[in-house]
Amino acid sequence: MLLKQLTEAMGPSGFEDEVRNLLREQLSDKVDHMYTDVLGNLFAEKHSDKTGPRVMLDAHMDEVGMMIVHAEDNGLLRFRPLGGIDPRVLVSKPVRIGSEKRYGVIGSKPIHLQTMEERKKPLRMDQLYIDIGAQSKDEALAHIQLGDVAVFATEYAEIGERAAKAKSFDDRVGCSIVAEAMERQWQIPVTGVFTVQEEIGLRGATAAAYRINPDIAIAVEGTVCFDVVDAPSHGQSTVLGKGPALTVQDGQTLADARFLEFLIATAEKHNIPWQLRRVKGGSNDFGAIHKVREGIVGGAISVPVRYIHAPAQIISLDDYQASLQLVCAAITEIQEGRWNA
Amino acid sequence: MERMKEFIRQLASQIIPSGYERNALPDLLRSLEDIADETHIDVLGNGIVKKAGHGPHVAISAHIDEPGVMVIHVEDNGYLRILSVGDLQPGRLIGRHVQFTGGSIGIVGVESEVRAENVTYDHLYVDLGCQTAAEANALTPIGTCGVALEPVVELEGDCLAGRALDNRAGCAAAIEAFRALAGEGRRVSLVLAAQSTVGARGAKTAAFALEPDVVFVIDAAPAGDMPKATRMELSLGQGPAIKILDGTIVIPLAMKDLLRKAADEMKINVQYEVWPNGKSDSGAYHLSQSGVLVGSISYPARYVGGISTVVNINDVQAVKDLVIAAAKAYQ
Repeated sequence: MLLKQLTEAMGPSGFEDEVRNLLREQLSDKVDHMYTDVLGNLFAEKHSDKTGPRVMLDAHMDEVGMMIVHAEDNGLLRFRPLGGIDPRVLVSKPVRIGSEKRYGVIGSKPIHLQTMEERKKPLRMDQLYIDIGAQSKDEALAHIQLGDVAVFATEYAEIGERAAKAKSFDDRVGCSIVAEAMERQWQIPVTGVFTVQEEIGLRGATAAAYRINPDIAIAVEGTVCFDVVDAPSHGQSTVLGKGPALTVQDGQTLADARFLEFLIATAEKHNIPWQLRRVKGGSNDFGAIHKVREGIVGGAISVPVRYIHAPAQIISLDDYQASLQLVCAAITEIQEGRWNA
Repeated sequence: MERMKEFIRQLASQIIPSGYERNALPDLLRSLEDIADETHIDVLGNGIVKKAGHGPHVAISAHIDEPGVMVIHVEDNGYLRILSVGDLQPGRLIGRHVQFTGGSIGIVGVESEVRAENVTYDHLYVDLGCQTAAEANALTPIGTCGVALEPVVELEGDCLAGRALDNRAGCAAAIEAFRALAGEGRRVSLVLAAQSTVGARGAKTAAFALEPDVVFVIDAAPAGDMPKATRMELSLGQGPAIKILDGTIVIPLAMKDLLRKAADEMKINVQYEVWPNGKSDSGAYHLSQSGVLVGSISYPARYVGGISTVVNINDVQAVKDLVIAAAKAYQ
């Protein structure tokens, strides 16, 4: 299953190779032309000989992760975050490091040894380390090089009622949805773009959108969801299971009201559930894409992800399917000429 | 001066939070069709007006958007929850009236248990007087934007005070400067820039599209002539401020000299703006493509970032005159 493979692949910002290879393999015989650019973005073009508006589907391959920056004399590894990680979610988590995917554990002082003061204070990133079982600096550096990256070790599993848990649903859900959409046949030119370095500043998407210069761009993202106990309704952002979330405003984008209305009308027409993303914080690749060149019209379709940027995240598989349906319905409506800027 | 004052008041009466420019611009652009070759609204919502003619391609830019609020949730009992659009301190809104783009007016309330210094948007709500979510949703669905109501009034000494004077005063100067230069047969473009208060987004795409030889950016700069004000060597009524630098740009010295010389010849008294933390559209123009020459001329304004700002009409008038003179002086 592609989503399982994608979430279990390693791909912190700047180190997206494994994800890129999976996508390339998945799509090689299903699109017309695939290539990469200098940054490492993967482009999958289809129907470029057809006329009609050129659509770019975007999903970012990278995930938040860690980079090893120092080995202590006793063999413990110091690290820095790649992307936004809350240090409070890191303690005691298993991780996998480097191309060999060596196991490690983010260690900390056991509760027995903590003072009352220490128990009250969350640990800072610089108090944490990764333990790979090495006894010395030399032993650690025999297996790990400084600059190697680490990701959470969570495996994908389907749980409960139509839900799934894994690491990196942000944004492997988007990669999987865009890949599935690219497997279908369309009547207009469509390019699937799998971008790099979103988590550290929407970098890949900036270059990708400049290259493709599409008429319409849709970013497919995994987004914040906090529909849990004690969260006021205006602090939830999205609700799990209520369908794809559409952006009105985030940290980088004010929604183009015309395209937002188009997406809502498309969802209504095709009987696809939808919701609005009700929070300003965070952003996605569309924030970079719409500012490229003379401006590119479009928007984002997001799958709600609980515990986003944390080791184990949860999505609704119904939201996944509905988001895929909405992406495909939007392309269908565009190719039938129902999008008029 | 009366004409300029009326023009500023007319522009400032419009509600144009960032992202809403497309809805507000058509009438204004239509009013320029008598002199322009072409007017259009681009993807980001910039109003772009072009006139072919002789000389280098001069662009004049003023952002037309203002900070505001956006409905992000509707409570079951009809209260609205809001976010800011751009930088608008939540504490300033408490107890004030807001007007949404659809016309609805509400009052901003705050949850009782929060202390004044800890107020965030999460604690605020807007009371439209509605009883139910359905009623409120029909008037102000999620995503609807609004502004704090603070109509423009006249103060003494040729000053105006009120909402959106930053930067409708600049728009008035830019439009008048465009008219003057286009009327002389010069090659000139006007950008009524969108989405400036959220980070110079419109200026970025306008710069790419226009590829001008030079851009003159008109905006407000904070005055520092109030009691115990944050130090800033700008005073109301003392003339245009030639920008030296802000947080987005260092103006090339040759441009500063060109502006000063133009001001000298016109006998316009100028001030100099050094605003290290300031945000403007200037940097977005400057860094477009292979780099674009930018001159920035500001009018001093008191209480920049507040709901009501104070500007002096004579400063705005002189900004317009200086931009026209500088555009003609540029070779």
